[in-house]
Parts: sequence; C-alpha cells; structure tokens
Amino acid sequence: MSVPELPVEAGAIHPPPATVIERVTSIIAILGGFLALSVALLATASVMMRWLFNAPIDGDFEFVKMATAVAVFAYLPYTQARRGNIMVDTFTGWLSQTARSRLDAFWDLVYAGFAGYIAYSLATGTFDALQSGETTMQRQLLIWPSIGVSALLCALLMVAAIVTAWRLIVESGRRTPR
Amino acid sequence: MSGVSVALLGFAAMLGLIAMRAPIGLSMLIVGAAGYVHLSSAHAFFGYMKTNAYHQFANYTLSVIPLFILMGALAERAGIAASLFKAAESAFGRFRGGLAMAVIGACTAFGAICGSSVATTATFGRAALPEMLRYKYDGGFATGTIAVGGTLGILIPPSVILVVYAITTEQNIAKLFQAALIPGLMAALFYCITIAIVVRRNPALAPASVKVVVERAAQPWWPKIGGGLAIAAIAAQTARGHLAWDNAAVFAGLAVLFAIVDVAIMPAILIAIVVVGGIYGGVFTPTEGAAVGAIAMLLVGLARRSLGWSDIIEALRQTAETSGMIFIILLGAEVFGAFLALSRLPTIAAETIGSAGYSPYTVLIAMLAFYILLGAVMDELAMILLTLPVFFPVIQALDFGMPADDVAIWFGILVLIVVGIGLTAPPIGLNVFVISSIARTVPIADTYRGVLPFIVADVIRLVLVVAIPSLSLWMVRFFN
Repeated sequence: MSVPELPVEAGAIHPPPATVIERVTSIIAILGGFLALSVALLATASVMMRWLFNAPIDGDFEFVKMATAVAVFAYLPYTQARRGNIMVDTFTGWLSQTARSRLDAFWDLVYAGFAGYIAYSLATGTFDALQSGETTMQRQLLIWPSIGVSALLCALLMVAAIVTAWRLIVESGRRTPR
Repeated sequence: MSGVSVALLGFAAMLGLIAMRAPIGLSMLIVGAAGYVHLSSAHAFFGYMKTNAYHQFANYTLSVIPLFILMGALAERAGIAASLFKAAESAFGRFRGGLAMAVIGACTAFGAICGSSVATTATFGRAALPEMLRYKYDGGFATGTIAVGGTLGILIPPSVILVVYAITTEQNIAKLFQAALIPGLMAALFYCITIAIVVRRNPALAPASVKVVVERAAQPWWPKIGGGLAIAAIAAQTARGHLAWDNAAVFAGLAVLFAIVDVAIMPAILIAIVVVGGIYGGVFTPTEGAAVGAIAMLLVGLARRSLGWSDIIEALRQTAETSGMIFIILLGAEVFGAFLALSRLPTIAAETIGSAGYSPYTVLIAMLAFYILLGAVMDELAMILLTLPVFFPVIQALDFGMPADDVAIWFGILVLIVVGIGLTAPPIGLNVFVISSIARTVPIADTYRGVLPFIVADVIRLVLVVAIPSLSLWMVRFFN
C-alpha cells in the first residue's frame, strides 16, 4: 500500500469530503453509521434487559443482521468515493503518473461493472423475496425491504465508481505535458 | 484442466491483478467470479450472488466488525488515549526511555478497547508523539515505538483480525480472544524490555528521566464510588450465577485497581474490563460486547465533554470508510473462497501435505515464514483471507499431538503474531505509513530503523508461542 492510499482510518489524515460524490456518499455513509449506532443501542438494551430482568429483547439479532447488511452497503459507496480501497502500488512505480491514473480509472470501471452486476442480482433477489413473502424466523420481519435497499446502495456504489474513474481520467488529462 | 490447476492459475492471475494496482477486494472478486463461472456456469454464479451478496453481510457474527471499529473510532476522539498516556507517563517517566515504555503501557490498555492497529497507531501518534519529541527523544525511536505499540491494538483482544480469522475458519471468537491475552501481554512486556535494552546500548535515543507533574489535586472522589458500585453490581451478578467465573480474587483485584488508579483513566479501564471480561465469561456475545463498548464509549465521551457532535459524525464517517474497506475484501474473499471450494484445491492440498510425511512443525514453520515474507509486501487482512482457505485445512489435517480445535485456536494466535510483524516490517508496514503521515519531520527510513529491534522481540515471542502452545491455550482452558 502507498502513503497516499492512507486516508483510510487515521483521523488526522482524514480530510472532510470535498467533491459532490464524496458529499452525497458521506451523507449515506453517516446514515449507515447511525444505523450501526442503533444496532449498538438495541444490543446494549437487550443485554441490560437480560442482565437486570432476565428478559432479553426477543429476536434482536435478526434486526442486528439486517441493519448490519444495510449499513455495510451504505458504507461501500463512500469508501469508493474516497478511493479508500486497499491496493498495492509497489510494482507500478516505474509507470508515469498519467498511466497510473488511467490504470486506476480502468479498475474503477471494472469495479463499477461488478457493483452493477451485484445490484442487479440483489434486485432479482428482492423480487424473489417479495413474491415468496420470506420473513425472518423469530420476529417474522419481511426481508425484501432490506435486500431492496442494499440493491439501491449497490447501484449508488456503481455510480460512485464511475465518477471516481471519470475524475481520474480528467485529472490525468490535465497533467499530460503539452 | 483439473480444478487444482485452475485454482493455481487463479492465484497467479490474482497476484498479477494486484500487482497491476487492482484493489485487493476487486482482484479477488474478478478471479473468484471467473473461476466460479469456468468451473460451474454463469447461471449458477448468478444464483450464488443473488443470495450470497446480501447474506454475506447480513451475518450476525460479522456485525461485530463495524461495532468494534465504531468503538475504537469513538475512543480515538474521546481523549481516552491522552489520559492513558499521562497515567502511564507518571508511572514510567522516571526510567530512561520511560516515555517509550509509557506508550507501550498505554497502547496495551487502549488495545483492550480498540480492535484496530491503524486506529491505535494514529491515536498515539497524536497523543504521545509531540510529548516524546518535546523531551528530545530520537525521532525514529519515538515513531518506531508508536508504530509497534499500535500493533497492540490487534494483539490485545478485542481484535478485528481475530474476528476475521474466526469467521473464515468457523472458530469461536471468544476462545480466540481468550487465547490472545497472554501472548498479547507478553508482547507489551517484550517491547518494554526491548526499549530498556535499546536505550541502555544507545543513551542518545532517550533522555535519562522525565519529571512528570501529575495533578493529584484534581482527583474527585465520586468516580471511585461509581466504580465501586459497578464492581459491587458485577459481584452481585456473579453471586446470582449470571457470571460464569465467580472468582472473588478478580473482584478484589479490581477493587485494589480502583483504589490506586488515576480517575481519568478509570472509564477506559472499566469499559475494557466489561467488554473483554464479558466476552470471556460468556456473559454476552462478541457482537453484544462491541455494542456495549461503543455505547459506553459514547456516554463517557459525552460525559467528559470530549465528544462533540462533529466528533461523533467524524467517528461514524471513519467507521464507514474502514468498514467499507474491510467488507469489500471480505466479499471478494467469500467469492474467491467459493471458487477454491469448487476447485477442491483446499481438500487436495490438505490430503497431499497430510500424507507426504513432513513433520507438522516443518509445515507450520514454512507457513509462518511465508506469512512473514508475504506480510512484508502485502496487506495483512487480504493475506490471511486469501491463504486461510488453503492453509487452514492443511493445518487441521496435521497431527500436533493435541485436539484439532486447540490447533485451530493456537494457529489463529500464531497468524495474529505474524500479522503484527507484517504491520511494522519494511518495506510495506501499514502502521509505519500511518505514523509517517502524522510525523512529517521524521523520515520513514528512521522509523523503520526504530522498528527493527522490536521485530527481533516479536520473532522471539513467535518462537516461544510456537514452542509452548499452552501460552495460548491455558486461558482457553481456564475459562471453559
């Protein structure tokens, strides 16, 4: 991994979102973060209820599972918009900056293709679950809405990857010596 | 082409993609999908993705990862690290190299509330580095110590890497956390010994001693009462049989700890004890432990007024980016693993190596050496996700003279140690990159020089944990 790839995690080197796609995806990611926070609250409440009154919240884990899936799908577009995905740049140091940017743009497009494919397969899965009326075991929660939201978020991931690819191509064009 | 040759070709193709700057998760997705379609069909792959892409993430065990990351992100901003470092400073300050030892001590405590090494490194890069440089510590020695101290974030449970190992190999997270404790504390001890030796050999690295002014006046009495009540509550629950280990000595120890410990670090210590202790004792699942820890950290930050609205948003954003990065690799590894399973490579590798008559330890040492080499040039998370589908069945097929479950836990701890080495070892050590991005004045080569003596200590520890499996398994037996 390279130093520029690092914004991942370290707070001090975590500048606020700059571009439109970063802002849009960061709002979605923060909503996903609040979902994770509500998962934490629910699990904590369940632990407290079980501990103090021996009466845990029934089937809380089903909500935890669903909410985690949706939250994670909400995180993916933001990670891509910031190009936070881990890659290795040890072996491409000999390439020019322009060539490297174009290579990165190419992989972003491939990633967009996969995101589109996953979004499509999830959409199909949503209709399957809608038709069969599949629910969770304990609380009888319908599962199609959470798969559907995941499909939409995956579509947003595709858009984010296309935008980052486009950004890289434009920037590399600007850098090309005349 | 046989399944095995397709799988080997797949590995080669993936390394090629990674070398050509393809993100690691994406590389696994591409090769996994291509291999799956080749060995099965495009239709079957679509059917697989339709259910698995969602159910891979809608997984109760995996939900522990974003929650632990959230807990660490909140801890990072709640000013916990600074208090821990101050307390450790007043304990170690009188020794030569005392601030470096204080970093290790504080990282050990922080490691018990944070499951990520990068977060721990970044936190102490801000909390401790300015202080060390102010006291004229050698730059590379200071940054090297923090980079190594950061690995305690994963070496001391909770640990995101161990969660990933547990999920990939279908092992019990609580048992892995138990097994990691003694090797983790050994790491802290070995690092402190390393510091003592290094500064003795080269006194220019650190000043003789640092006079630390501790504001004893600012010690209110009420948190001690609160802590005492909390301990009483835990003890009461133990008496009612809700805690599995009704060990009065533990609570006596806690009470003593609260009598002597600095008030500022009490919340951190209490959260660590509740989260790790609760998971150890089976009071709650790791997911619940992480949830309780995150909420407790949020409350502590709000109560201390160190967490503002913007800090919370920032922590959520950081959780999003880090979790997103991890989960895309997990998804890629899932697809790649499905492809490997179709190819039967893991089963055949296990049978072949199992019946080839190598001594189990030869195979184990070869794997660990391979991990150290690969970890030096590759991301550690991706490394274990890629190799475990093949390595783990092989290890399970070998006879180490103990039950297969014990071997699985022990191997997890060994993998954790080599991952820790990979995080700091040149030429690609993630922790070193993190500290370098904070310490702009210290050249990265100096940091790598500062890290080297600690790597020697890590290798010695690895040898000990390989030679004496009880170091890992004793705690597991104690709690079960």
